[in-house]
Amino acid sequence: MLILVLNYDFRNQMIGETASLSSCYQCATCSGACPVALLTNGKFNPRKIIEEAILGLDGKLIDLQEPNAWLCSTCQKCVELCPQKVELTEVFTRIKNESFIKGKAPEAFLAQASSVFENGIAIPYSKPINQRREKLGLPAIKTADAQEIQALLKSVNFDSNLQKKGE
Amino acid sequence: MSYDLFLGCVIPARLPFLEASSRKVFQKLEIALHDVDGFSCCPDPTGIELLSHDAWLLLGARNLSLCNGNGGVVSLCSGCVETLKAVNYCLNKYPNQKAKINEMLKDSGHEYEGNVGVKHFAQVLYENIDKIKENVTRPLTGLKVAVHYGCHYLRPAEIIDWDDPFEPVTLDKIVEAIGAESIQYDLKMECCGNPVAKSDKDLSTSMIAQKLSSIQESGANCVAVVCPACFQQFDFNQKEVNKRDNTNFEFPIFYLSELVGLSFGFEPAELGLNFHGVKTSSLIESIQPSTS
Repeated sequence: MLILVLNYDFRNQMIGETASLSSCYQCATCSGACPVALLTNGKFNPRKIIEEAILGLDGKLIDLQEPNAWLCSTCQKCVELCPQKVELTEVFTRIKNESFIKGKAPEAFLAQASSVFENGIAIPYSKPINQRREKLGLPAIKTADAQEIQALLKSVNFDSNLQKKGE
Repeated sequence: MSYDLFLGCVIPARLPFLEASSRKVFQKLEIALHDVDGFSCCPDPTGIELLSHDAWLLLGARNLSLCNGNGGVVSLCSGCVETLKAVNYCLNKYPNQKAKINEMLKDSGHEYEGNVGVKHFAQVLYENIDKIKENVTRPLTGLKVAVHYGCHYLRPAEIIDWDDPFEPVTLDKIVEAIGAESIQYDLKMECCGNPVAKSDKDLSTSMIAQKLSSIQESGANCVAVVCPACFQQFDFNQKEVNKRDNTNFEFPIFYLSELVGLSFGFEPAELGLNFHGVKTSSLIESIQPSTS
């Protein structure tokens, strides 16, 4: 059994980083406009995520992922419609960033992140694509030096957090 | 008029034909695009930013620091545009963040002041709509287009600062300027579902399935998009929907640059339309019978 704890540090961190969070009065305009809430019959529910963030329920948001913030499609409708101007997507991003630090990000996100860390870009140029580019009359592209990007990403601990997958 | 060109990852390395049509259209409009060496991933606002806001801000600022003037930077991808605009917004709103990021960039010799203008390629097209009309030699009469704006072309409105976040007009007007008809449909403003595929593939398929149903009801015969994520979701995943739901959607999906290119008289092969998942040839042949 998981005992839910109101984590005041987590709560204060969330509100400190996104002050608009404390303006939420739980009207659920966000959930009414959310395409994912509609398709999941409210299993994904932006209002609920905001409520849990205000209460400091990091056990539910990060460990149990109830609701699962990774299901947000980032369509930003909720942000536009919120009567209290709560930056919902920003709050979801904070929750996901915390999940990444705890090794709780979905595999496909980590795969993309590994490619950016290794190559500086999300999709390396394959031989067939380079041939296709040539056929289409497109120039060769000189992308970032991968070593330079790795050094920058290491400076924000991106690599060590990437290693945490599955821990 | 000239811009630095930010290609991002998906278009040049997976969908280079979209780059080809865009370059052709810009050349015809006499708008110069400069290739810049050394860009990294923008980084993806529906991927890397969700893992690490700091990493996203850092690489975004580095990319912007490589743009050196001209008329600012233009991108062919709505995700890249959002990232570059949002990084600008963050750095200008929070000077202490800007100072911190510049300190981190110092070792690799970069510095970003926060003053590079960012535009979506469709915005540049809209700003040149009169010039587009002058260059139309084969109007796309008979094309009934379901315009899909996509989310990141519009929102968050405070950062994107371009078209209306819920009642946009720019893409419809471009489609009509080249002789096609823009068809209204119920789910026009809904998300294509692409970003959700990384966490729930089935949910993502449901999101695109409902859009395709709505487009079918409207009587449109094709779809226009301005984002490579939306393009892949609509074009390559249409057969996923058909397989799962036993439907038979077969909508040709066009990038806006391809439609403008066709209206300028470019041949489908030059634009790379043969690389699409859903075939475009019979629809194009029905409105523009080939002379050969």
